[in-house]
Amino acid sequence: MRYTRVHADVREYDVFARKTRVEPLHQVGSVVAPDDDLAMAYARATYDEERWIEMMIVPKAAIISLWAPGGADS
Amino acid sequence: MGAGRGGQLSLYSLVKSLADNKQLLGMRYAEWCIAAPTLEADIAAAAMGLDDIGHSRVLYGSLRELGTPDGAADDAGDYANVPYLDRPWTEWAEFVAANAVLDTAFTLMIEALANGNVEVLRSRLKKMLQEERYHFLHGRSWMHETTAGAAVERAWRESLEWFGPENGDVDELHREGPLAHGVRDLRRLLEDRLGGRPPEAAIDWSRWEPIRRRTQAGGIDQATLDMLQGLAEKRYMPASSG
Repeated sequence: MRYTRVHADVREYDVFARKTRVEPLHQVGSVVAPDDDLAMAYARATYDEERWIEMMIVPKAAIISLWAPGGADS
Repeated sequence: MGAGRGGQLSLYSLVKSLADNKQLLGMRYAEWCIAAPTLEADIAAAAMGLDDIGHSRVLYGSLRELGTPDGAADDAGDYANVPYLDRPWTEWAEFVAANAVLDTAFTLMIEALANGNVEVLRSRLKKMLQEERYHFLHGRSWMHETTAGAAVERAWRESLEWFGPENGDVDELHREGPLAHGVRDLRRLLEDRLGGRPPEAAIDWSRWEPIRRRTQAGGIDQATLDMLQGLAEKRYMPASSG
């Protein structure tokens, strides 16, 4: 069975983590996956090198951007 | 805990087989770390391989506190693994089935040990279960996405063989306390997690080898043994250090 190097139908997820309770979550990277379960597995596999006390993923499509570099409001 | 009573095997043999399977599973995962269908799956294969090799080291390290081996031979080449791990996988579907089914079967046994009454296993095995959660998510998602029916059926049948027959060593260890689950519990939990029907082909328990926990003859090939023992890497060493 042959596979291409990408899934046919995927979503992008941003990965957030922090190392201590006193620091805020910050974005450590992103993953691409066809569903939430696989995105969790990929995030943990890709970004688990450091001792995070918390990690979460957010579908990029769920993020509402107020302004960004290059936009009219930036 | 020494050798089991009434002809049953000891906890040592069960944990040794679990360790052997974990080591081989980790190696087979690692073999796919540049061959999976996506870059993320490559990385996951490498990470899961490292996890499972780490788990095998913890399990091997626990053996000295679990008594003595059953049977005469216990040398380095005496691997008590499921036939599925005897040879490298040639199809991604085989990886997926091992990840979804075999890895889950081994995790269920780890759960049974971690919740049993042997303190060394209760204290050392809990972290494995945290890591295995992500192996399960990975395997289950890929199982839904991949046509892996034949490989899943084979992996499932070999998992049932590895659990062993009813009223065998696993059920005795369950009655005595080291295992929180018996064979029927393990079969049902595997079915619950995988969400499908187990293979219908009956297992010929008369052919079952208790120490190796399988009905099929044979074992790992020489190339696999060389890799496990580090011999395969020696060919890359400078002649002066060989």
